[in-house]
Amino acid sequence: MPYFGSEEMVKELKRALSNPHVQSDRLRYKNYITKVIRYMTQGLDVSSLFMDMVKASATVDIVQKKLVYLYMCTYASDKPDLALLAINTLRKDCADPNPMVRGLALRNMCNFRMPGMTEYIEQPIVAALRDKASYVRRVAVLGCAKMHSLQPNTEIDGRIVNELYALLRDPDPVVVVNCLRALEEILKDEGGVVINKPIAHHLLNRMKELDSWAQSEVLNFLLRYHPRSDDELFDILSLLDSFLQSSHAHVVVSTLRLFLHLASAHRAVQADALLRTSAPLLATCSAVSRELRFAGLCHVQQVMRSQPGLFATHYKRFFCGYSEPSYIKFRKMEILVELVNDENVSLVLEELRSYCTDVSPELAQAAIAAIGRIARTYSEKCLDILTGLLALKQDHITSAVIQTFRDLVWFCPQSTAAVCQTVEAGVDRPQDSEGKQALLWLLGAHGDQMGSAPYVMEGYIDGLKTELSSTVKMELLTATVKMFLCRPAETQDMLGRLLHYCIEEESDVCVRDRALLYYRLLQRGAEETRRVVTGPKSDPSMSVLTGRQEEPISEWASTFNTLGPLAGRDSCPQTDAISAADQPSYSAGEELLPGSEDVTLSGPGDTEEEISLSLGAPLSHESFEKMWLDLEILHRQALGVSRPRTAPDTLQASLQLEKIQTLAFTPADTVPWKAYIYTRSTGTLILAELLQGATDESLVLSVKQQPVNQHAIRRFVSVLKSVLQTLNLE
Amino acid sequence: MIGGLFIYNHKGEVLISRVYRDDIGRNAVDAFRVNVIHARQQVRSPVTNIARTSFFHVKRSNIWLAAVTKQNVNAAMVFEFLYKMCDVMAAYFGKISEENIKNNFVLIYELLDEILDFGYPQNSETGALKTFITQQGIKGQHQTKEEQSQITSQVTGQIGWRREGIKYRRNELFLDVLESVNLLMSPQGQVLSAHVSGRVVMKSYLSGMPECKFGMNDKIVIDKQGKGGTTDDPGKSGKQSIAIDDCTFHQCVRLSKFDSERSISFIPPDGEYELMRYRTTKDIILPFRVIPLVREVGRTKLEVKVVIKSNFKPSLLAQKIEVRIPTPLNTSGVQVICMKGKAKYKASENAIVWKIKRMAGMKESQISAEIELLPTNDKKKWARPPISMNFEVPFAPSGLKVRYLKVFESKLNYSDHDVIKWVRYIGRSGIYETRC
Repeated sequence: MPYFGSEEMVKELKRALSNPHVQSDRLRYKNYITKVIRYMTQGLDVSSLFMDMVKASATVDIVQKKLVYLYMCTYASDKPDLALLAINTLRKDCADPNPMVRGLALRNMCNFRMPGMTEYIEQPIVAALRDKASYVRRVAVLGCAKMHSLQPNTEIDGRIVNELYALLRDPDPVVVVNCLRALEEILKDEGGVVINKPIAHHLLNRMKELDSWAQSEVLNFLLRYHPRSDDELFDILSLLDSFLQSSHAHVVVSTLRLFLHLASAHRAVQADALLRTSAPLLATCSAVSRELRFAGLCHVQQVMRSQPGLFATHYKRFFCGYSEPSYIKFRKMEILVELVNDENVSLVLEELRSYCTDVSPELAQAAIAAIGRIARTYSEKCLDILTGLLALKQDHITSAVIQTFRDLVWFCPQSTAAVCQTVEAGVDRPQDSEGKQALLWLLGAHGDQMGSAPYVMEGYIDGLKTELSSTVKMELLTATVKMFLCRPAETQDMLGRLLHYCIEEESDVCVRDRALLYYRLLQRGAEETRRVVTGPKSDPSMSVLTGRQEEPISEWASTFNTLGPLAGRDSCPQTDAISAADQPSYSAGEELLPGSEDVTLSGPGDTEEEISLSLGAPLSHESFEKMWLDLEILHRQALGVSRPRTAPDTLQASLQLEKIQTLAFTPADTVPWKAYIYTRSTGTLILAELLQGATDESLVLSVKQQPVNQHAIRRFVSVLKSVLQTLNLE
Repeated sequence: MIGGLFIYNHKGEVLISRVYRDDIGRNAVDAFRVNVIHARQQVRSPVTNIARTSFFHVKRSNIWLAAVTKQNVNAAMVFEFLYKMCDVMAAYFGKISEENIKNNFVLIYELLDEILDFGYPQNSETGALKTFITQQGIKGQHQTKEEQSQITSQVTGQIGWRREGIKYRRNELFLDVLESVNLLMSPQGQVLSAHVSGRVVMKSYLSGMPECKFGMNDKIVIDKQGKGGTTDDPGKSGKQSIAIDDCTFHQCVRLSKFDSERSISFIPPDGEYELMRYRTTKDIILPFRVIPLVREVGRTKLEVKVVIKSNFKPSLLAQKIEVRIPTPLNTSGVQVICMKGKAKYKASENAIVWKIKRMAGMKESQISAEIELLPTNDKKKWARPPISMNFEVPFAPSGLKVRYLKVFESKLNYSDHDVIKWVRYIGRSGIYETRC
């Protein structure tokens, strides 16, 4: 990147741009402007050219105009005073006879990210909402959203909102969808755009005119609508029916989600929709683009949670191609494991075996693990394959096979004998710590069935000094103690050496403590030790026998067609962080990820669900005061507890722990004592006042809220009460 | 919604960066480069989460396209959008390469400006976009009144994909049936999986607002007509029809009519577009059969013999045939003998590449090679990647045939007979692999 000598270059450009000769030569002038944009893209700071670029915006050449606008949008926030100079030109362009120029100017003016912009853009936007060219209207509608995002805390302009609702009837489909998008953003704090019956029906009727992106978005908005009757519901479903077969995967998936949501009370309809989308979903799984294929596979996995048999006949479609990237192969293997049945088991296993020798060790290990999963039902065939793999004498394969053996023995005890036989017959020592641990566990737990077990273990004890991993050492300790309990004669000596080394010479505290624990346990006698150390040798819950449960569709329907299904297990904790707190707009209907049970959010219909409080952005004193004066008291109650005698800081901190923010309170000994607090919950803002008339009198709570949500208030009161009670106890 | 779009070259240098929303900071560009492009390990997923921001990426040859968002969006939509973006760019300047992107840098910014606004897709049809994008040299001032009114009518009109008042002196239609046949075959010659994914691509140069009707030998339609009691020999038509597993259409096709009558009728966009996309898995004509024979002679020698058989009418010619026989990493030398075409060992690709320019149907050709190996102490067995094949044949491996394509235009005075129609079938290899 040309950071070197960048100052020189910028100076040179400045000179060139202000050179009258260059300015008179249109082509050369434009070339220099292009150069500026190029440097900007590369990350160079060219903001010092702002003045010259503003001058360049006064041109009839549209391409040059676009470039200059792009520049100005990027740097306007750094140079707000200079940017104001450009506004005149832009406003003039907003009245140009050419709709393209009008649209362009308006769009870019809205893109300027600087304070105080609103007063300049409001009037042109409102005018453009009624423009006769739909191109300009599109821009203007989104301009409303941009204007709101410039000043997110100001009051919502009811006039504009009404205008936008009216524009939902616009003849141009893009304007309609833009209106939805803009309203959604402007009304974010109030729970987004309202989809009532007329709007829902209007949108449904316009669906066919929309482009695929818009269709997908409208389908998402429709999730908010609840049909009044079954007749209406089925009318909607039959209208949407053709979209299940759309040529765009994302429209298909969005439609399916809406179907599942609307027909949540009609199991048969849901099943039918799943059956009919199985073909397009499968097609997505073999799409040309890898990324779409990946998205398709992830959604197939979701569907299979409820309908495992749906894709059973198509199992060959999930065989991996040689050149596919590994993320697709991993998913395909996971699916294959689920699809195994009596008829296809041999072919699937054959296929999986060929992946075991893949060049990527990770993939090979995943394939071996997949065979292990199948082995829980078809143990014999799989054990043959796994044993065969050991003969390849490759470290990563051996290690993975032994780990698979361990899991297999745990989940299906009937295969223990065969596994022990194989391990006894001679297994290479795995080199990685995971493999070592697995082998040691097997030796410890089933040492009684393997004649050579103590000798293998002795090898590890002898090589203890070179062992680096402390987990392996701990596993070794446990395994040796277990072995000692079933074959004391052969193990006694080596156990003594092992304990001695671990207690005397080992530097790792955990290992030392573990060794001491076992040592003292052994001092209490063998019976006592046996009682403590030996546990069940197989999965006591017998999960294999009960088999995989078919989950109800509602388990996953809420996250279908979001980022959720795509986040693999390993990336879950990371994405968990994008929790609902950042995105209040989504808390209304769309949860983020499966598996994030700690984030409780209310579904659209069932308000009975637990409502959680959140802090959100801090409220200023002025806005609190304004709202407090504007709103009516919704709820007043004596709390039955008096003011806690703790320090004010403690009160504030403990309330904050429960996500209640304290705005202000009177000094501790004033009478009457007052405190103002607030919190947020599922799109509503709760304001409250605590008042104590005389000392030792009960506190009186007054609550105001916008918009009204009684459930949230109830929740708030109970949280507040419990905090105050706890503080009083102390 | 998309917060920003970035394009990088293979080194991770930013070629294009366009941020649509405030929540995407300027450091997002670098975050993706550091965490994905320059990451040590393989790409784990096309979606990456970095600091509460999701990056969706697509790689075209050496170019990375990344879409950034902070919202919980529909992943399939973002990917499809990125592909659409690629298609639009390709329609403007051909192949997506670093050089082309650098040269068309202004144009790409113009496109990005029109396609997305505030992160929302606005207009992504190439045909419709042409009205807004001023190619270099064309100046806004020179735009005629007529063109201006077109912008208005085109975006307000009910039919978003076609503008009014199109006129051609010669009304022509080009119809291409493009299929790619995918095969995975076991060494014993058993078909593990095979499917054909096909596209019907049309180029229409028709005046006015014509209504088109397209018919093919779809099994359901043929059966229906057979029941209708026509004099056609039912046995014959049954054999020629094909079973389409699933198909999807361009926005312009009236789906309701397809559902009820199975007829495909539409008002076509102007220029090139993809009318339909379909997939078949049954009764596929596999144009080539590959019979591999690999023998390991000792530790330092391999003998490979591969026979390919063409399996279609002798009068047809297959073209651009290429067989790629993988060789082990420790190959030291290769001797090749082939009856037809040219074969070469390419050490950099670890494969013997055998090219045949043309081959007629029902023929057979053979290659044999001796591969010398360097002795290694690597115990890893050679994984034997499959033998892959590329080719092009002048028929549709799925068996699809175009039965008719009719054009009706009531307002202008031309009829179906005046339209010149061209139909072409091309079957290409997709992933066509035989394990050895």
